[in-house]
Amino acid sequence: MFRLIKIESSKLFYKLKSWLGPMLIMILVLTAFPLSIDISQFDLEKFYFSIIVVSLLMTSFLATEGMFEEDFEDGSLEQEYLVEQDFYKVVLSKIFVYVCFIGVPIAFIGAIFSFANGVAIGNFINVFVSLSLSNLLLFNLFAFGNALSINKGAMLGVLTTLPLALPVIILLGTAIRSIQYGNGFLEIISLMIGMGFLISAIMPLIISTTLKTHID
Amino acid sequence: MISVIIHKFSSPKSFVQITKTLYPLFIFTGLFMLIIGWTWGLLFAPPDAVQGNSYRIIFLHVPAVIFAELIYFFMALCALMHIVWRVRLAAYLIKSAAPIGAMITFIGLFSGSIWGIPTWGTWWQWDARITSTLILFIMYLGILTLHGSFSNLEKSDRLMSILVVIGVVNIPIIKKSVDWWSTLHQPASISVSGGSSIDPSMLYPLIISVIGLGFTLISLGILTSRSYILGREKNKKWVLDHV
Amino acid sequence: MKLISAQNISYKINEKMLFHNLSLEVCSGQGLHIKGGNGSGKSTLLKILLKITSVSKGLIEYKNQDLKISYLGHKNAIKNYLTPAQNLQLLFEDVSLTNAFGWLEKLDLYQVQDELTANLSFGQQKKLALIRVLAKSSELIVLDEPFVGLDKAASELLNSFFLQKLSEGTGLILTSHIQPSVECQVVKLDKTNV
Repeated sequence: MFRLIKIESSKLFYKLKSWLGPMLIMILVLTAFPLSIDISQFDLEKFYFSIIVVSLLMTSFLATEGMFEEDFEDGSLEQEYLVEQDFYKVVLSKIFVYVCFIGVPIAFIGAIFSFANGVAIGNFINVFVSLSLSNLLLFNLFAFGNALSINKGAMLGVLTTLPLALPVIILLGTAIRSIQYGNGFLEIISLMIGMGFLISAIMPLIISTTLKTHID
Repeated sequence: MISVIIHKFSSPKSFVQITKTLYPLFIFTGLFMLIIGWTWGLLFAPPDAVQGNSYRIIFLHVPAVIFAELIYFFMALCALMHIVWRVRLAAYLIKSAAPIGAMITFIGLFSGSIWGIPTWGTWWQWDARITSTLILFIMYLGILTLHGSFSNLEKSDRLMSILVVIGVVNIPIIKKSVDWWSTLHQPASISVSGGSSIDPSMLYPLIISVIGLGFTLISLGILTSRSYILGREKNKKWVLDHV
Repeated sequence: MKLISAQNISYKINEKMLFHNLSLEVCSGQGLHIKGGNGSGKSTLLKILLKITSVSKGLIEYKNQDLKISYLGHKNAIKNYLTPAQNLQLLFEDVSLTNAFGWLEKLDLYQVQDELTANLSFGQQKKLALIRVLAKSSELIVLDEPFVGLDKAASELLNSFFLQKLSEGTGLILTSHIQPSVECQVVKLDKTNV
């Protein structure tokens, strides 16, 4: 497991566009949006969060693109299968690495921007945690989408799993509303943590079955 | 033990043979009940107190959205059978049910839009239930595209089944979305446990048209799945004997 | 000692039979050369023997559950955005890493070890990929067309590697259109298997 995490993180480290790209796009969208419309600061604060949510969706979409594609194309997946006899650990460590090195920084950027747009500074941690958790959920879902259509350009699969991201968005929306109005945050966040554990345990299982079907 | 029983009753051969005799029965019952339900609903049922005559589209809308979800549910059951017991027939059924599901979901959305104009004053609203039904529609299309994009058909059967099973989470979301969001959509009028809030004079034709549409869709499904099965198994001996 | 044995295996794809009732076995110190035309299912047979692809019918048995196999298919399984040195660091640790760098030198790749793998020639990439098999200690070696793209010197090196490994008791399974210099039993895949 540790070996896999080491391998995945060094591979990701050298793939500059995979981790820097999503972060840049996140920053770009979050800065470009207020510039592109003529709107008062007061109005902006009311719906700036939905921009954050949408760009979160978009960037996690981008970040997971080609997550398994490269390993499938160059035959690394087969080699891993020979060593592990299973993809569970491979998938688990890959998602872990991607969430740590792309998902969490993106959530951090989102939290900083939200704080610049009218969220009280004391809520920074709350926003950051809920964004990170929804990134964990989204990465798991989109990784599944990627694995589905691995040899046909991962976009198709991600699009077919996009509907599944809807509950995550609803949940994140509720979490943010609870932060804004200052009640019920704890319940929502514990629900998200629970879902995070559940999905992180089950999704890799499903993804590894999918990958196995592909190399078959 | 279970798998032996399942495999015995799920050979594509026996499916084709059994449905051959059932098909005329289903299509007749279905069309007959649809005609009764719709004539009753459109011509004889009383107009709604608030909505006047425009409510009559529920005789199309409600059955359509019911089956939009039921067909998906059926597909999910088949997908489970395919994943767990490797039942070939189950995959064939998913593949042939998906276009029908997509069609009926589209009809549901479209009729809903038409109904929306006189009642809500708009034909589209980003309301939770419409959005998630739209997502169900996209899901159907996604399943079809996914299946069509692989050259190894057995592989695409399995991948499609996995996607269908995962997509099941969308169904409770559609069901509950009315409660979760504040929305324009009315909460369910008909419930199994408590009394319904709909008048019997409207309820009976509605139930009849739901059942009628059900039978019609089943016979449609039999039609498409039979031709699909025969196409997929064309190298097998029983198909040559059958044709 | 039997390393791997396949009994009466059949495989079909889209209801088309690729081979039928094929049996073979490889003992330690023995080589197996799988021959056959294009599309006869050589690569698929290798994947079946590795248990990556599941058979439609039949049984594949290993000597024991954790039989150490090293394999190189027609995909190189190297990362072309990394340098050869980095690629090896991903694959090997400690002693075997030094061993791998030794092979880098023997295969004439030492000068290019810090260039991007994407910039190497086809043959160089193939040699780099082969190090995965060469520097690893295993009980069974499975190779798909190992000689393709190799120059004369590298082919000879590979042949002598096979010879040495066979004498050490390692099993060898390969598909190749080029006759390896080591002695192998031959399985031919053609229409008669169907």
